[in-house]
Amino acid sequence: MTTRLPAQPNEVIDRSKPLAFTWNGKKMRGFEGDTITSAILANGEHIISRSMKYHRPRGVLTADFWDPNTSVQVGDEPNVRASHRALVAGMAVSAQNVWPSLKYDAKAANGLVGRFLTAGFYYKTFMKPAKMWPAYERVLARFAPGGKVDLDTPHGYHDKRYAHPDVVVAGGGPSGLAAAVEAARAGASVMLVEHEHDLGGHLRWGSNDDADALAGLVAEAESAGVEILTNSTVTGRYEDNWLAIAQRNHPIAVERLIKARAKVLVVAPGLIERPYVFAGNDLPGVMTSGAVRRLIAMYAIRPGNRAVVLTANESGDAAIDELERAGIEIVKVIDARTGATVTKASGSKSRVKAVTCSDGSIVDADLLVTATGWTAPTSLLNMSGDRPVYDPASARFFADSPPDNVLTTGGIAGDGNRDELISHGRSTGRLAAARAGVARHRIQAATTRATAVDGPEPAYPDDTRSPLGRDPHPELFRSTSHGMVDFSEDISSKDLFGAAAEGFDSVELLKRFTTATMGPSQGKLETVNTVAVLAEARGETLAEVGTTVWRPPYAPIALGALAGRVFEPVRVSSIQPWHEANGSTPILAGQWVRPEHYGAPQQEVRNTRANVGITDVTPLGKLDLQGPDVAKLLSQLYTNKWMQLAIGSVRYGIMCAEDGVVLDDGVTGRLGDEHYLMTTTSSGAGGVWNWIENWLQTEHPEWQVHVTPVTTGLTSINVAGPNSRELMSRLVGDDIDLDPDAFKYMQVRTGTIAGVADCVVWRIGFTGELSFEIHVPSGHGLHVWETLLGQGESLGVAPFGLEAQRIMRLEKGHFIVGQDTDGLSKAPTTGMIGLLKFDKDDWAGKPEVAWALEGDYPRIVAIQPTDPSIVPDEACQILREGTKDIVGRITSSRFSPTLDRAVCLGQVTPEFAGPDTTLTVQLVNGEQITARVMQHHAHFDPEGERLRG
Amino acid sequence: MLLVPCPNCGPRNASDMSYGGEPHSRPDPNTASPEQWRTYLYLRDNESGWITEKWYCSSGCRKHFKLERHTLTGELRNPPLPGNKTGGHK
Amino acid sequence: MGKHKSPARYSAAGLAWRGLRNKSWPRVWREPELKSAYDVVVIGGGIHGLATAYYLASNHAITNVAVVDKAYLGSGGSGRNTAIVRSNYLTPEGVAFYDRSLDLYNTMSTDLNINVMFSERGHMTLAHTDSALRTMNWRAEVNKLQGIDSSVIAPDEIKKLSPSLDTSPNTRYPILGALYHPPGGTIRHDAVVWGYARAADAYGVDLHQKTEVLDILCEGGAGPNGKGAGGKVTGVRTNRGDIHAPVVVNCTAGWASTIASMAGVRLPITTHPLQAAVTEPVKTFLPTVIVSGSLHVYVSQTDRGELVFGASVDPVANYDMKGTLEFTEELAGHVLELMPGLSKMRLMRQWAGLCDMTPDYSPVMGPTPVDGFLVDVGWGTYGFKAGPVSGEQMAACIAHESMPDLIAPFVLSRFTDGTLVGEKGAAAVGH
Repeated sequence: MTTRLPAQPNEVIDRSKPLAFTWNGKKMRGFEGDTITSAILANGEHIISRSMKYHRPRGVLTADFWDPNTSVQVGDEPNVRASHRALVAGMAVSAQNVWPSLKYDAKAANGLVGRFLTAGFYYKTFMKPAKMWPAYERVLARFAPGGKVDLDTPHGYHDKRYAHPDVVVAGGGPSGLAAAVEAARAGASVMLVEHEHDLGGHLRWGSNDDADALAGLVAEAESAGVEILTNSTVTGRYEDNWLAIAQRNHPIAVERLIKARAKVLVVAPGLIERPYVFAGNDLPGVMTSGAVRRLIAMYAIRPGNRAVVLTANESGDAAIDELERAGIEIVKVIDARTGATVTKASGSKSRVKAVTCSDGSIVDADLLVTATGWTAPTSLLNMSGDRPVYDPASARFFADSPPDNVLTTGGIAGDGNRDELISHGRSTGRLAAARAGVARHRIQAATTRATAVDGPEPAYPDDTRSPLGRDPHPELFRSTSHGMVDFSEDISSKDLFGAAAEGFDSVELLKRFTTATMGPSQGKLETVNTVAVLAEARGETLAEVGTTVWRPPYAPIALGALAGRVFEPVRVSSIQPWHEANGSTPILAGQWVRPEHYGAPQQEVRNTRANVGITDVTPLGKLDLQGPDVAKLLSQLYTNKWMQLAIGSVRYGIMCAEDGVVLDDGVTGRLGDEHYLMTTTSSGAGGVWNWIENWLQTEHPEWQVHVTPVTTGLTSINVAGPNSRELMSRLVGDDIDLDPDAFKYMQVRTGTIAGVADCVVWRIGFTGELSFEIHVPSGHGLHVWETLLGQGESLGVAPFGLEAQRIMRLEKGHFIVGQDTDGLSKAPTTGMIGLLKFDKDDWAGKPEVAWALEGDYPRIVAIQPTDPSIVPDEACQILREGTKDIVGRITSSRFSPTLDRAVCLGQVTPEFAGPDTTLTVQLVNGEQITARVMQHHAHFDPEGERLRG
Repeated sequence: MLLVPCPNCGPRNASDMSYGGEPHSRPDPNTASPEQWRTYLYLRDNESGWITEKWYCSSGCRKHFKLERHTLTGELRNPPLPGNKTGGHK
Repeated sequence: MGKHKSPARYSAAGLAWRGLRNKSWPRVWREPELKSAYDVVVIGGGIHGLATAYYLASNHAITNVAVVDKAYLGSGGSGRNTAIVRSNYLTPEGVAFYDRSLDLYNTMSTDLNINVMFSERGHMTLAHTDSALRTMNWRAEVNKLQGIDSSVIAPDEIKKLSPSLDTSPNTRYPILGALYHPPGGTIRHDAVVWGYARAADAYGVDLHQKTEVLDILCEGGAGPNGKGAGGKVTGVRTNRGDIHAPVVVNCTAGWASTIASMAGVRLPITTHPLQAAVTEPVKTFLPTVIVSGSLHVYVSQTDRGELVFGASVDPVANYDMKGTLEFTEELAGHVLELMPGLSKMRLMRQWAGLCDMTPDYSPVMGPTPVDGFLVDVGWGTYGFKAGPVSGEQMAACIAHESMPDLIAPFVLSRFTDGTLVGEKGAAAVGH
């Protein structure tokens, strides 16, 4: 029975602050400062979970973050690490991997058949009958460990922070603390990140002198200006010391991701105590020496009544003292340094009762403490590209050659007494600060514009620290019996021997076959024992077997913290408030939200064709091009000619990539001698800008062109319909002459509209109507829009949305890049053969377009279903009659209110592209219809009389 | 994340940049054979080791520039950057 | 030539018998001596290489075959992918090819006598924009014509199949529909590696791990040392010695260009890392595979309860597999867009594999300008799905010295002919 001890000198619990919580529905009380498990232990319960495969009862093993069988459900949060998580008043804590209850678990029957459930057993069975596998799979899935996700969990508030510290110290034990202090004193900005709730590492459960030394270091750190983050973990080290820090102690954010670009990283995580492998090593009551020292010193927990201690090091020896001081009977000490060991722990299902020693003696005990060695948590070193090396004399791994901006100190670097560790930490801090200084200098000097660099670069400081020693330690991994190696995956040393004998005898294959080290502690406790057992099975050394690579994150991190505040804003035009207030249905188009329609798109089409309509086309990409060489640039990018474009004219062009595939299209107008405005498709705006810069900077740096993206700087409105000129005349200033002879189709004018100066207007005809496209400085967009509506009332003006636009352009047979073309459509597919100017010296994609013209490229054609009332879905396939051979597809399809029939565009092979060819179109429901290829792309007004009017 | 040294903006997170890949010289479009042109379009050295590559400071100054990077270790040289004694960095 | 030896058959009865007698299983494959000559040397001990060797032996009685790998079997993409299979591709040639692969996966557990745990749980590709929905419709229509079970379903049906998805219309990326492909699912990828390895070994194929190819030996070619166009292959040089072979097959995914350059062959490939990550396990709640092209994410839940995530390839060409923080941030953000209730789940591990990306999102298979040097590369993000059929077809290609119809579209020469495959029209995420 575990109980609370009298007050301990350095305990972290506050007995004046009791906290009520429930454990599996049972009411319990702990104290502020308790972890969940220390509180449960204080209430006399010691089984925290059932194991994954065999459902064996499990308790506290390490009493820290990595405690493998202490994950619990807390409210809607699964997999809470109960030996780390601080107790909070009102917590509803329950065991996770149990059915029907923690005490009486029906699946424990698996333990009886364990000899058949060897690692990887599922690969060898359930194959027949094949149709039964889904049923087997459902049963296996029921054994999935872990807690339960509540799908209604709200997305908590998680912000993120960016930091640019000179030095980050990962680990706040004596060495890490000392490193932080000295680095800060040397003038570096320092973040000290401690995984646990308090600084100090093993000093927290040491002597009173240790406690005093710790208090002194903490005071030094505070006065030196070190930023201290406790209950926070450096979870990842990425290229160039780009660090992920999970901060779990933030007052508002449950968990916060800090992204820090550190100039130097000091890795000081201490050491993780390694469990020992022997029969019964997973029984509750078997603990590491660190666990009992923590439980007694920090939480005043009596971990048992009669203890056997297996010790191979100082930590085990100290645990003996601690147990004695707490009044716990030591029934036997086994000193592993003399070659003695434990061979078996046996007991009831729920607790150790007896320990068998290697001398054959059997001792009654309810607590078995093991101190058999250390695992160096080399995770951050692995992530730095280092491959740590095993030292058999010390029975643990050490860094090999980390990068110069990653330093180690503390237990991961070597052994020493308190003063030696602190001294090493201090010299590490000084080195870190000095190297950070050089990095700072180099960053300042790195740009061509650097002006204020302080003097010459300082000499790069060499590592002149006196290294920590390495204490000898016996190689103790497994006793003479088989026991658990991976406590979270239920993998025993016997499983590993079996797998190795089967041929899964390299460490990676073994890991994959057995799943050892793949569970929630990700090898922190298991990796070295796994490697050691494999080495034993192969008759090799650990160094020969090698180890696995520890991957990020060092400690698990919440998806919410990684996601942060999801910040993906949409773009809207300056007229959007009007659209929303006037019944528009919004549609998401790329990054933009725009009106799809205002209730009746077919009516919007009819009104535009009969009277006048206005539509918001702001998402059109717009680039302002200025300079003496713009025409050369345009000639290079578009397939057609641009050198002779007159001031005041606009021209349509198609752009190809170098493989001849259509990249974008749009109109560009010449506003002045060296001033052009280019429009692109909405989704292509960013890409075209990059494409232009690429040509200007890498192929033709001699060309003088200045590019300014003005997509959102200009609000764009298309005014279309037979009454559009009359409407425009009511808005334009004296500086724009709308007379058809003065302002012709495909011309551009700049001037005043609705009192707004510096507007650009061009006459183009995407809708097929007489139309004017206005580009207004965005601050005045809404004003111009409302003025158009007000002035046009008597002319029948009405807004139209994207859907009406699409219908009208389809009626006119205008293709859309990316919809009617695809990733393989070369320029000839568009049918715009006249725009392909091969007598021009060079343009992007020219050779491929020329070769494509010689071949069987697919054609875009206008298509009308024979039955005018059937509108095939876009993407319907066009087949060779009587076969399933695909000869094309419908790319655009709508019912045309103007023609009162279905109209389509499609891509077909040349054989089917001729006018009046009858096509077979398969509808989505499988039915086949016939359709006719039209003479012109335009279903409506093929001569273009309306738009030239 | 890699720190990429833009000649104008200094070392910046790679996420501020666009990657341009191996530079390859463009054949004369009027005389290139299909094989030459498609070698330019498609074939790549794709070396595991030191390569010269193009970057574009797309969230900064919009400068196109080249640098040398080791595709196995992530080290940069020409220009070198802050981390290590040798001026290379990882 | 029959089977070299019969491996101990896997069965429930075998498990029970060995369990009772405390008897371990025999070695899953031999550790053979490296011979100085083979009829065929396959470079790369992943699914593609092992399947090629297996089908050479089983379908064509060519058993004097070595598979060499610089590390351990399945150490590359085969063990790093997210184990998703499907055949709902965009082009008829893609559909036919991947559907054959799915057929082979369907009978693999019994064919190879190892449970590969094919979980035919259905595969959903979400559409968040009308243009994405149009692409889904396009794929569905092509799929239906090829006899593939694939259709576009509406949000209410999506919600029924996967209740954890947020199908409300007011999200930043509303779910407008999905391409649903019931035969898609997941498979235990390592088991596929081991299954082919064990079966190939049983036919007498020699599997050589930790055997790194340092050079490819050629004669008669235009380049230095007889390499390059017009030459022929004579063998490989490894860290364990030279191996003579008239046929050498490059099945090395991410390292495809490096190996090909040893024969003087340049490929239309750049190597990019593809990252993946896994959460801590929770009780199963996600019954289908979910893919979102617009959000660059795919997710499934293993029988162990972990969520397995993947994304699109990293933009920067790299052979480094360390992974990035940004990947996990974007991934988590996008997963929570789709399933907001998962914010308290924790990411447990991230890793990366190498993808050999081609310009048309389709592989490069078959002969090269160097006689006897064949490639099975350019697998991008879809190599796992294609493993069985690639092995089967590459074996046929080697045995008959001609390109089988099923893989004819994927020949290397298409990049000089300009006859690229149309898969590029599909969504950006290949899963």
